[in-house]
Amino acid sequence: MSNFSFLNPFGVLDEPGTYMGDFYSHNFSKKAKEGTVILNLGPQHPSTHGVLRVLVELYGEYVMRSEPVLGYLHRSHEKMAEHKTAYGFLPNMGRVDYLNAIGWNWAYAASCEQLAGIQVPERAEYLRVISAELNRISSHLVWWGAFVLDLGAFTPILYAFDDREDLCDILQRVTGSRLTMNYFRFGGVGADGDERFFRLIREFIPRMRERLKMYRALVTDNVILRRRLEGIGSMDADMCLRYGATGPILRAAGVRRDVRKAIPYGIYDRFDYEIPVADRCDNFGRYWVRVEEIEQSLRIVEQAVAQIPEGKHIVDKAPKPAWKIPAGESVFSVEGARGEISVHVISDGGKSPYRVKLRAPGFSNLALFAEAAEGTLLADAIATLGSLDLVIPEIDR
Amino acid sequence: MITAIWDQLKGLYSLIVGMIVTGRYFFAPQKTVHYPRKVVDPEDLAAYRGPLELTRGKDDESRTRCISCQMCAKGCPGNCIKVVKGTEGKLPSTWVYDFSLCCLCGACVEVCPASAIDFSHRLYLVVTSREELVMDLLADLKERVAANPLKPAPDVPAAAGQKAADAPSAGAAKNGEV
Repeated sequence: MSNFSFLNPFGVLDEPGTYMGDFYSHNFSKKAKEGTVILNLGPQHPSTHGVLRVLVELYGEYVMRSEPVLGYLHRSHEKMAEHKTAYGFLPNMGRVDYLNAIGWNWAYAASCEQLAGIQVPERAEYLRVISAELNRISSHLVWWGAFVLDLGAFTPILYAFDDREDLCDILQRVTGSRLTMNYFRFGGVGADGDERFFRLIREFIPRMRERLKMYRALVTDNVILRRRLEGIGSMDADMCLRYGATGPILRAAGVRRDVRKAIPYGIYDRFDYEIPVADRCDNFGRYWVRVEEIEQSLRIVEQAVAQIPEGKHIVDKAPKPAWKIPAGESVFSVEGARGEISVHVISDGGKSPYRVKLRAPGFSNLALFAEAAEGTLLADAIATLGSLDLVIPEIDR
Repeated sequence: MITAIWDQLKGLYSLIVGMIVTGRYFFAPQKTVHYPRKVVDPEDLAAYRGPLELTRGKDDESRTRCISCQMCAKGCPGNCIKVVKGTEGKLPSTWVYDFSLCCLCGACVEVCPASAIDFSHRLYLVVTSREELVMDLLADLKERVAANPLKPAPDVPAAAGQKAADAPSAGAAKNGEV
């Protein structure tokens, strides 16, 4: 390392043929231009929300090129599915995306139910909607806090976790856990909501609405935040469709696409709610869409709690842990907090599914980063990365 | 020039709004549970899934309800349960549970035909080695029965009964009646 310099930490540019850094940084630096610096962002950097590693080529403060490197949190969930019973794979669904466990629960359970032709009782459908929407709010709250933290504001994350604490208490009441929830079963849900569960929700909704007003005053209307977000990180509809982005990113680009409305699953067609759409394409658009979604989710929960009928929370003779999925294949999509979650189950009628494909929205969403960050300041690239709402375990699976 | 001043004023207004919000919450009551001095409300823990425990028998509360049918051990996705049938009827001779492998999914609790297993609400469990996470639940049941020989009230008020049993004066009277 005789010719080591801070501006050229891998030494690749000075001496052609030397192999420094690892495979990714070596190949990435091959195309580096004169006078640029290759920098590793992550995998331990806090603003990459986990263990994402992004290679960036910097010219001064400007990002010339970037390349996300994945795989630091790969746990082979898809392979695990091939060795577990269908029921035994259910707990894995809470671990794929730890912030939106219920969304994944729903996608997998419903995919298997579709294959086996199991009808879910009415009350279970309502409990599914309530838990999924509460989980969406809690996911958006964590994103909101972490995103604003990325931009340099520390306080909001404390408020976000304050509200999330209430949501954890509510969801713990039925799911038994606070983070990696395993609530759905084939043919219903794991536990029925009791009086306290519904009382806590009824108390939570007006309180959250008050807090949303406070969030608006404290953060959304803040001049510094607006200047950091407006007009930065443009991802237009064409780009979103090219990369297969879904969820708030696509809706912030002006495309009205939400699986809950496009392919209504469960009982989502019974509720009155709107899909927030912004056509700003920038970071602020994505911020606005997610904050609006919290309000819309509150509306859905409010209606579901008012309408919930009496009845069973799971079908009679629900599948036991040793249950075999009938042969065939099925795909089921749900709208998760980060976009469209699809689970494709193929079964040959054996003890465990033949193949389970998990379509994680975060994977496609991350693909937009390299193009959107090109030519922006490094600090703005971090804001763009944050606005994608990345959860690395979900991307790596 | 005018825009610059206007921007400054807008920035100042944002700052003041933020200060007002933060100031209000500075005096609001805290939500954090300061653990060693305070504990979580037991009512909130009613559905909390802690490590497994064996429920007490219906007739003889010092005995387990387990009939060694192996349904839990087969249904467990993490293979964390080991049940060995003993010589005395259907009762198990060993009931070992490895909490370090358990993902608290509830498959065993739901599948048990004798409702012999349940989640405990031991939120403050601390161990210093991995070996301590491998629990002998029969010994644990024996310990719990020895510490509190009287059976808690059945089914729905079970949690309330247990709480009353923990409270010294009123609980003792109530248990005496049972």
